[in-house]
Amino acid sequence: MMDHTQYRSATMADPHDPDPDLRAHRESCAECRAFTEQLLRFEARLERALLIDIPTKPVVLPFAGRAQGPRRWMAMAASLLLALVVAAGVWLTLPQRSLAAAVVAHMAGEPDAWQLTDVPVPDADLNGVLKDSKLRLKPAAGVVSYASSCSFRGHKVPHLVVQTQSGPVTVMVLVHEAVRNPKQFDEQGYRGTIVPVPGHGSIAVLMRDASSRSGDVERIAARVSDSIVWTP
Amino acid sequence: MNDEIGGNQRRARFQALCQSLRPDLLRFAFWLSRDRALAEDVVQESMLRAWKARDSLLDETAAKPWLLTIVRREYARTFERKRLPTVSVDELVADEEPMLAAAEEQNISDVRAALMKLPDEYREPLILQVLMGYSTAEIARELELSGPAVLTRLFRARQQLRAACGEDLSQDPQE
Repeated sequence: MMDHTQYRSATMADPHDPDPDLRAHRESCAECRAFTEQLLRFEARLERALLIDIPTKPVVLPFAGRAQGPRRWMAMAASLLLALVVAAGVWLTLPQRSLAAAVVAHMAGEPDAWQLTDVPVPDADLNGVLKDSKLRLKPAAGVVSYASSCSFRGHKVPHLVVQTQSGPVTVMVLVHEAVRNPKQFDEQGYRGTIVPVPGHGSIAVLMRDASSRSGDVERIAARVSDSIVWTP
Repeated sequence: MNDEIGGNQRRARFQALCQSLRPDLLRFAFWLSRDRALAEDVVQESMLRAWKARDSLLDETAAKPWLLTIVRREYARTFERKRLPTVSVDELVADEEPMLAAAEEQNISDVRAALMKLPDEYREPLILQVLMGYSTAEIARELELSGPAVLTRLFRARQQLRAACGEDLSQDPQE
């Protein structure tokens, strides 16, 4: 049987270790559970700290030595153009992955937002959070139990929690983050989707994995998206 | 002619692969070197080496660990080649002040400053685990360490980081 010291040593080396013995100890020991929660909060900070911003820059590989003279210059120009086209294509798709990771990292830093409650935030608070992003939400979106204007990748964005039949669902309205296609993700206990909103960036919708069923997130994302009214 | 077209296609494909992995490689190189300009140089040189050694990449899905290994070796080679001057940690922190200050929140800046001061032997396995998603066995293989040695380093890395960030360590196990 694992003791506290063994559990905590192993968890400090790898807080996400799925080992069944660690899990069994955690479930039977309130003190170690509290210790783990504290450690995971720090881990979320660590993950965010490591994700430094990287400026986009096309990768250019050396040219083969076969082409000569004007042909070489044409090849160079074509290759550079190709690199830029590829870079642009990759730039359009790459942020989706890092964006999902950043959204999940942001969630881990705000555990209090996930409370199951039917108490809505006051309208004035909600509207205050939404007005900076020039939008409002129709009542059809559901009960909004949490609303905060959060710093996210250099911008203030609305971070909402909507209560649904499937449990609390987090919505982040990412006006500054354009994505080309919907992107599903399943990371660190969160299941979510980032969907494009033409002309208005994207919205990220995510649930805690245990409370979500297949298709829930997509349905809720569609409902929330339909409930947004963009204001001038 | 067909060879040339095939070569260009291959180059474009490899270029796209490098482009997609560039952010991860740069972050890895930055946290190894704690120097943004050096990280850029190391990654650029690593990509050229990777291109020359492209035939040794048999499975594209293994490109990321393959490139990370090249970056690690290139970083080590940079030290051997240039005999980089030893710089104090405080100077490194001061040089990267804009990056530290650019963090969205103070508590993220604190962690970044603590990471800059973490000894290399603890920082490297931690980056591989947290940033690159490596398992303990993969870190052990990459760093040529035993599994228990990796776990010890990861334990100490988190302990030192949390202490530097003012976290409550009263419930931590003693080594």
